[in-house]
Amino acid sequence: MRRIISGAALIGLSIAAVPAAAQSTQARINDYRERVERLEDADAVENLQAYFGFFFDKGLWGDTADLFADNASFEYGQRGVYVGKQRIARALLLFGPEGLAPGYLNTHMQLQPIITVAPDGRTAKGRFQGMVMLSRPGANGAWGVGIYENTYVKQGGIWKIASLHFYVTAMTDYDLGFMKSALPMDGPSALFPPDRPPSEAYRSFPAAYIPPFSYVHPVTGKSLEAIPQPADTLVGRK
Amino acid sequence: MRALSMSGALVLLLATTVAAAQAQTADQQLDALEARITRLEDLNAIERLQRAYGYFVDKGQWTQLSELFTDDATLEIGGKGLFLGKRRVLEYMQTAFGPDGAKEGLLANHMQFQPIPDISADGTRGWVRSRAFVMSNAGWGLPLYENEYRKEGGVWKISRLSGPFTMYTSWEGWGRNALNNTWPDKFEPAPDLPPSTVYLTYPAYYIVPFHYPNPVTGHAFVPDRGEVGAYHRPPGTADQQRALATGRLADGTQAIAEPPKD
Repeated sequence: MRRIISGAALIGLSIAAVPAAAQSTQARINDYRERVERLEDADAVENLQAYFGFFFDKGLWGDTADLFADNASFEYGQRGVYVGKQRIARALLLFGPEGLAPGYLNTHMQLQPIITVAPDGRTAKGRFQGMVMLSRPGANGAWGVGIYENTYVKQGGIWKIASLHFYVTAMTDYDLGFMKSALPMDGPSALFPPDRPPSEAYRSFPAAYIPPFSYVHPVTGKSLEAIPQPADTLVGRK
Repeated sequence: MRALSMSGALVLLLATTVAAAQAQTADQQLDALEARITRLEDLNAIERLQRAYGYFVDKGQWTQLSELFTDDATLEIGGKGLFLGKRRVLEYMQTAFGPDGAKEGLLANHMQFQPIPDISADGTRGWVRSRAFVMSNAGWGLPLYENEYRKEGGVWKISRLSGPFTMYTSWEGWGRNALNNTWPDKFEPAPDLPPSTVYLTYPAYYIVPFHYPNPVTGHAFVPDRGEVGAYHRPPGTADQQRALATGRLADGTQAIAEPPKD
């Protein structure tokens, strides 16, 4: 008969006469709802970044820009920071015409996600590994790799990109490889200058740089902020 | 009130086993729900742990990398042999690959893909099969992982890292160039134990056993005793038949032998 009693208690709960036992049941339900929502948030953020990659790959700049919050920022390598959805939509033309064109390959894989959702479920951070395969008309193909450190915001129940920052690690000619070719990053565009200079000064391979981590050490819980950067005399980093 | 009358009818009419299954209290249902939520969180946690390992490898954060392991963890990468304990994991990394830190002129990205995570029924152990795709200044590499994880004090850690190699090549590409598997004295430091199995990398092949059964049929993977790792002789030749029968263990892999000679 226990089931009937607890069934009656559950019915009573909705009427407001809340017995002590039922209260803890409600507390458990609340706790589990939170945990399921955080799992759903992490999935949504991972998928959002995948949507970004699939749109960006094909030069669907309108769809790409629509994934950003109105006041979001976009930063790719040393090109500087573009702020606001409209500015981002235009800056994306730096990567090719809308819908790309024959001879273009703009593949930016979105891999190895480490998502951290804020306890209140309103914001999130994500680190991704970005393997790159590029081609432009009149140029040889290129291999590349880099790291994304992005932030996200949930507005009206929908996750959007609040800031996207792609740190280029290394780029090389398709045929030559890193032993013989290290392609430098593009600087800020003269045609459509960014709103702000690059937020961090660094060089890609053969130089080395460690994009700051958005998460704490998963085992020790310690901050990863103090990890020293390799020296760069030109930048002034000892 | 259909639920009440129905459950009353069930209690009256049905056998005790059926009644027991039906008569879950709210707390029992919540217990079951919690176990399922925890399992999903655990699956995420071990995937995340493996990805964090990859990011530390990329930039040579050996100290932080070693802190991902349990004190009694084991590590085995390629044909190098077994390293026992967290301290030896750190020693292996710093001796073989230099002090902590990203280094000018060095690219050694170990991109972590394709995880298949599983958690034990009691929630204390986990396993991930996954791969790394290596993009380095020297060329390309394809290790696999069959790793084990343990939950200690509510925190997941790597308790066994097993990273057998599939293929390594220079920038000439695997059509023209294939590197041998590593072996215990290829570089410092020496391992604590010899390799748990000896196998050959591409153009030969070796299948590291799967920690899970086939997800559709439920059948466990059975290593091919006759041919695993044995394609270092041309298939279909007498040479290969001899190679298949030489110094083979019960599971089809080869026992410890002399290291490959370049």
